[in-house]
Amino acid sequence: MTMYNLTTDQRVDKALADNFLRQATRRATDRLRNNKYKASDELGNWEEWRNAGETIRKHVIANLDFYLQQLIEQMEKRGVHVHLAKTPADAVGIVRNIVREHDAKSVLKSKSMISEEIHLNHALEEDGAAVVETDLGEYIIQIAGEPPSHIIVPAMHKTRQQVADLFEPIAGHALSSDTPTLTRFVRIQMREQFLRGDIGITGCNFAVANTGSIVMVTNEGNGRMVSTLPRVQITLMGMERIVPSFRELDIMLNLLARSATGQRLSSYTTILTPPKKSADSDGPEEYHLVILDHNRSEILGDKLFRTALNCIRCGACFNVCPVYRQLGGHAYGSVYSGPIGSVITPLLEKDWKKWGHLPYFSSLCGACTEGCPVRIPLHDLLVKLRMRKTQSGHTPQVEQQIFKAYRYLFTREKTLRRALRLGAHLQRPFVRNHRITGGPAPLSNWTKSRTLPMVAPKPFMQIWADLNNKR
Amino acid sequence: MTNTTEFINHLASKLGRPTPTETPPPVEISVPQYRLSNTEERASIFLQNWQALGGKGAIVKSDNDMLQCLKEWFGDLPVTWFKDNPQALIAWDMLPSIAESAFSTLNWPLTRYTQSSLDPRDRYSIAAHAELGITGSDLGIALSGTIVMNSDPLRGRAVSLLPPRHLAFIETTKIRNNLFEVLEEISALGTPPAAIEMISGPSRTSDIEMDLSIGVHGPIEVYVVVTDN
Repeated sequence: MTMYNLTTDQRVDKALADNFLRQATRRATDRLRNNKYKASDELGNWEEWRNAGETIRKHVIANLDFYLQQLIEQMEKRGVHVHLAKTPADAVGIVRNIVREHDAKSVLKSKSMISEEIHLNHALEEDGAAVVETDLGEYIIQIAGEPPSHIIVPAMHKTRQQVADLFEPIAGHALSSDTPTLTRFVRIQMREQFLRGDIGITGCNFAVANTGSIVMVTNEGNGRMVSTLPRVQITLMGMERIVPSFRELDIMLNLLARSATGQRLSSYTTILTPPKKSADSDGPEEYHLVILDHNRSEILGDKLFRTALNCIRCGACFNVCPVYRQLGGHAYGSVYSGPIGSVITPLLEKDWKKWGHLPYFSSLCGACTEGCPVRIPLHDLLVKLRMRKTQSGHTPQVEQQIFKAYRYLFTREKTLRRALRLGAHLQRPFVRNHRITGGPAPLSNWTKSRTLPMVAPKPFMQIWADLNNKR
Repeated sequence: MTNTTEFINHLASKLGRPTPTETPPPVEISVPQYRLSNTEERASIFLQNWQALGGKGAIVKSDNDMLQCLKEWFGDLPVTWFKDNPQALIAWDMLPSIAESAFSTLNWPLTRYTQSSLDPRDRYSIAAHAELGITGSDLGIALSGTIVMNSDPLRGRAVSLLPPRHLAFIETTKIRNNLFEVLEEISALGTPPAAIEMISGPSRTSDIEMDLSIGVHGPIEVYVVVTDN
């Protein structure tokens, strides 16, 4: 995908130059954020719900081994095939085998961030299976060959005309770009696929450990289609996505729907306890649950970052983040963007070279932490990630040199005085209104978008000395 | 493919202790829950919330009310539908008796989904070509305007999903205040059914320029009759 081939700077420049994207991002995040405020305010005691959410998530993560074991036992007891995947490659291999075993030609998917994380579609298509994303937003970006730009509204960077242009070759005729026409086209187009699909792949919002149930929320109904009609179903879940019982599920579903879209409950909340009973007329006969680790166990063992596993993927942190608001999701370059994406991507992918920029996609204002329904201290984690990156020796050369110079000067008083005098002299061509603008690299890395305070014409040390002399 | 014991032990080692052998004591949860004072109020708030989501709804107190309500909503449409498709109305095997007698009086024949064909793909096709899917509901949630349906051999999950319109019946006494009460009640039944569907309004999406659009995949029109005996 082209987006992935650009450097971070190129992606950021591209995003900043895209007026529609920025306007659409502002519009979407404003709307989602305001809806969330309304839905959380009407409870009148949102903080208590957040406290409960945080307590439940911490409890689950602290006992993740127990609850996962319970979930697996419950599922296997009823004949569900449970597969455990250490790596994304393992997970892809597992799904590939199931698809091959059934000689499936048509694979229907409802929204699953895990499938994005493991880059599943491409692998299945290589095997000759037609993979169809059935969520409208996911379908749009699948045709466009792009990653999601928002965890809840994946195609929000597309204009309606761009969507119509993407649909036209499939429709075989011109389409008007009004929303009802585009929606109707997808309804008709997708309907045949739903009725003929061989395998359904879904994500999992929550798994209930003591009943062995999978909970899925959608607004379009595609999740229900994919989990009702095909004979075989595969559910992909990140291993932390657990609640102990229905009692805790109440809190989590309320927090999720209200934080994600400002709804009291999503249009369709489905609790599956598979597989179908033998006499049931609908529902998959064969059910596979794929549970993915992908370094989540490393995060579990890392006390500094364990709270990152508390996330319920509601996207509320995206909608309050000033950086996300300016850039949209693609500038991050990662599958998960926004504040939580900046936290978990470096931890999941363990590649500072590729993802080291992410902890810096933040102004550390703390809005994400305040917006998080389960109180993950996101901005705090971002600072700690910066520390982790520096400790691992991945700081850019320029930054390393600057800090070396800083240490050198500030431990040598006379040299510092000389350097300041020299600085006051050298800065002259670049000073405008008492601020440094422009200048050569590496100074320009800073000054291309900001200014620096000028070196005072008379250093403080000199002013102090003069005051003492006057006494 | 990783072995379960190995996978779980790995997590236990990351948590720095052996895996607990007994269920950890549940966390204390104290959130003030939404509560209404009586059945009548719950029915009325349920209906308000259902309508706010774009659904149509009415409370009926008698057989006659029921007939009036169905006539008002659907008029002569079923007669027109039957001309092209005798299976235009697809339903669960059993509906509340007040609903059964209304359809019978109106002479709107119902196709029973589970008996419509032995082949699941044919059944899906019949449901997809029907004009109206008709179901009961096990429970309702006043706060969110939600109907809750448990799967069952006599029902069929596709009835509330594939037709462009969905009509559901619910008794006032089945409407609970909030999700917590519904989940508590389902929990008490033991092993949950294969699917619990909670439906709050019609299928909706805002994926194109955040513009709300109804009916992208699921039913476009949703109707609920609240029966008050």
